[in-house]
Amino acid sequence: MAMTALARMAARAPVPVFVATGQGWLASCRNLAASVDVAVVTNIREAAILIVAGEPRDEDRDALRRLHDQMPHPRATAWWGARPFAEAGSAIEVSATDDPGPLLRSAFAALLARVRESEPDWLPDDPPNPWQGEGDHGQGGKGMMGGTPYGRPMAMTADDLRDGLALDSFTFTIGPFYPSLPPGLALELTLQGDVIQSARVVRPPLDPGEDAAGACRSMTVGRMLRLLELDALARRCEAVPVEDRDAVNGLKRWIGASCAMRAIPKGLGRLAGDDARARFTRMVAALGDAEASSIAGPGGRLVDLLPGLEWNEALLVINSFSHRDLVALAPREMEQEEDSEGSAEQREGHGI
Amino acid sequence: MTLSDIAFWLFSAGAVWTAWRVFRTDSMVRASFALMLSFFCVAAILLLLSAPYLGIATIFMMAVEMMVMALFMVMFMMNPAGLNPMMMVHQHKVSIGAGVAAFAGLGAAALLTDLPHHAVAAGKPVIRDLGTELLGGSMLIFETAGITLLATMVATVVLSSRSGRFGAADEGSRPPGLEPGGKPAGRAPERDSDHSHHAEHGG
Amino acid sequence: MTALIAVLLLLAAGVWFGATVDAVAEAAVAGRPVRTALAAPFRRTALMLSRQAIETEHPDTLNHLLAPACYLVLAAAGLSVVPFAPGVAVTDIATGLVLWGACEALVVVVVFLNGWSANAPLPLIGGYRYVAIGLPAMLISMFVLIGTALPAQSLGVSAVVESQRVLINAVRQPLGLPLFLLLGLSITLRGPFNYGDSADLVGGTQAEVAGVQRLLWRGAKLAMLTAFSAMAATVFLGGYLGPVLPGPAWLVLKTALVMLMLVAITHLVARVPPARMLTWLWTVLLPLSFVDLVWAGLEAMR
Repeated sequence: MAMTALARMAARAPVPVFVATGQGWLASCRNLAASVDVAVVTNIREAAILIVAGEPRDEDRDALRRLHDQMPHPRATAWWGARPFAEAGSAIEVSATDDPGPLLRSAFAALLARVRESEPDWLPDDPPNPWQGEGDHGQGGKGMMGGTPYGRPMAMTADDLRDGLALDSFTFTIGPFYPSLPPGLALELTLQGDVIQSARVVRPPLDPGEDAAGACRSMTVGRMLRLLELDALARRCEAVPVEDRDAVNGLKRWIGASCAMRAIPKGLGRLAGDDARARFTRMVAALGDAEASSIAGPGGRLVDLLPGLEWNEALLVINSFSHRDLVALAPREMEQEEDSEGSAEQREGHGI
Repeated sequence: MTLSDIAFWLFSAGAVWTAWRVFRTDSMVRASFALMLSFFCVAAILLLLSAPYLGIATIFMMAVEMMVMALFMVMFMMNPAGLNPMMMVHQHKVSIGAGVAAFAGLGAAALLTDLPHHAVAAGKPVIRDLGTELLGGSMLIFETAGITLLATMVATVVLSSRSGRFGAADEGSRPPGLEPGGKPAGRAPERDSDHSHHAEHGG
Repeated sequence: MTALIAVLLLLAAGVWFGATVDAVAEAAVAGRPVRTALAAPFRRTALMLSRQAIETEHPDTLNHLLAPACYLVLAAAGLSVVPFAPGVAVTDIATGLVLWGACEALVVVVVFLNGWSANAPLPLIGGYRYVAIGLPAMLISMFVLIGTALPAQSLGVSAVVESQRVLINAVRQPLGLPLFLLLGLSITLRGPFNYGDSADLVGGTQAEVAGVQRLLWRGAKLAMLTAFSAMAATVFLGGYLGPVLPGPAWLVLKTALVMLMLVAITHLVARVPPARMLTWLWTVLLPLSFVDLVWAGLEAMR
């Protein structure tokens, strides 16, 4: 089948992939960032291929299915050192030791040329909450608020954290594949506007393992730079060869010149005497060091730091900790919820 | 019927239709922007009347005003997306009465006033004339009206906000502490109605 | 008629130029091969055209479709007040600066509607956040623009250009251009002023958009970048004025210069959290725009 000119042109672009990281695969995912064949995207809506890197945790499987279904057609899934789900039809399988680049490229070209069929949904296309049929307009809830009109949970009045004003609060879960959070971490947040009222750890971050400290650091600094709207610099950081002194020092100069440190407000997320800016500065300085430089367990809980912070500030605080520290700060909580969320999708009732 | 006549009728119909949509739609955001479109039609009519500054300034002001209105309404009152269906009309009898009275009043004013009907001469410096009018002879009136409006707004907020952000104003509302369980922030309310002495200050 | 063709040509060229410069700057900062970046805009366009458009759950379809289109129209309307040569502008009216201001104000509305109409939390937060930052940024630009109208004694853009025959406004009112550039970053949703489509919200108003719709929004943003750059070049850098070369050539060169500045800032300067930016806008930048206005007034009376 002859490719159309459009598909041929599109196939020359770097393959847009979204990486869903599984246990023990943090270091390998970093190598993807350095590849010229692929462009790692942070929004599943931009991706054409979902890479499942390593076996996902059992509790993340439903979130992974939802994530997959948010990908626009034509789409495919690559299983890199992971066993494909039963519902995944013609899966692209890449063995754990292989470089997925060339395989992704050919699959991408086949997808665009319509030679390879786009994957269907893995979940039934039903609203997460059934129609309630209550209220004047069938929206459920109370009066004109709350309820689940069209199956979408709506905010309901609740007391504000700061001043007792009753404002609308809205609860939803982000993670375990949210690009601005460390892989694996899922948080249930209650928001009023964009201010976080309460937070709960639904899933702890993946344990990076001993040998991934350097890779984790450049990934964390990359996420932080992206939060500061420095996407290109974040890409440089994620791809920088750690053993190349000059490249690492050059990167540090770029970061310093961009005012990235000074953009983080002072005193934000203070824990054990350090604020987010100090932690980030230290993390940037440690770029290129192979050994883990974890400050012997900062103590405390991540969820206690977040209430009262605005969305962006909260994400800055979370990513100012090293991955290893976050594993200690955000342990698995006792009461378990049965399912969680994909990147941009949301679910869940309201915080009454 | 000239081209500008046709334009006038089109914009008039547009203004009326979008204004009607304000009350028929079921979302505050849609209502705000329908009202904005209605004002835009009026602005276009102003442009037809050779009032370019007033016309474009109306578009400019209404875009900002309706944006702020939509934002505040949704922020303070409704569900986050404002897509939850809701009734946009209430207090029917009062509204109908007020509507009829306003229509009659404005209609009478429009019909009974002896409006100028000569065309504006081409090349007449209309914007300069407007500026001279606003900042020349009528400056005192406009500035007085401006200050009065501002004072009215502030006074309305003061008078209507007995139930303040931190409790009823006449019961001595105090903001909560800056940290959970901390000492209340701000000044302590006065202990009695006698203004000759002040209670000690807290916080 | 020539002016209309010139506007459309400049918009198209600006979108291509902006996309290319953006891709090159991105590749250079990211440490990726710069050579492939030249073809990147075409490849990305082709890719977006061959992807499915997403429909979210119960969106406000009308506004969701209209928002990118309106954004594009606003860019064209804004560019229409820019004169390419003495007397050659699509809308050569005495209230050009006010018309441009109306376009700025409507950009805020359009970005908000784009975020709101998707009916999803992350785009909505992006939309709200943009309104909070975009409105004061627009206020600042209005004071700065009024400053440029003072020496010209007119709200017409042509008169503002003619008033720069001796000295360009960028020199005469040194605070003006930097403050106006902030607005440029804000209405094109870029870098340090990208509060609507920001990465912490996985793309903000664009979080739930794919395919043709994403392409349209991207194109509209670049068109607005072109319109803004042409406006900044006209109001602060003397527009079509310049020796040797013909007027339109000067305008295009100056427009490209402003675009390059904005693209560089986009990729090199960090963004501060929105609450902090809001404080800066109201307590530092807005007073600075008053200083600029007073400066312009005193200078004009001299």
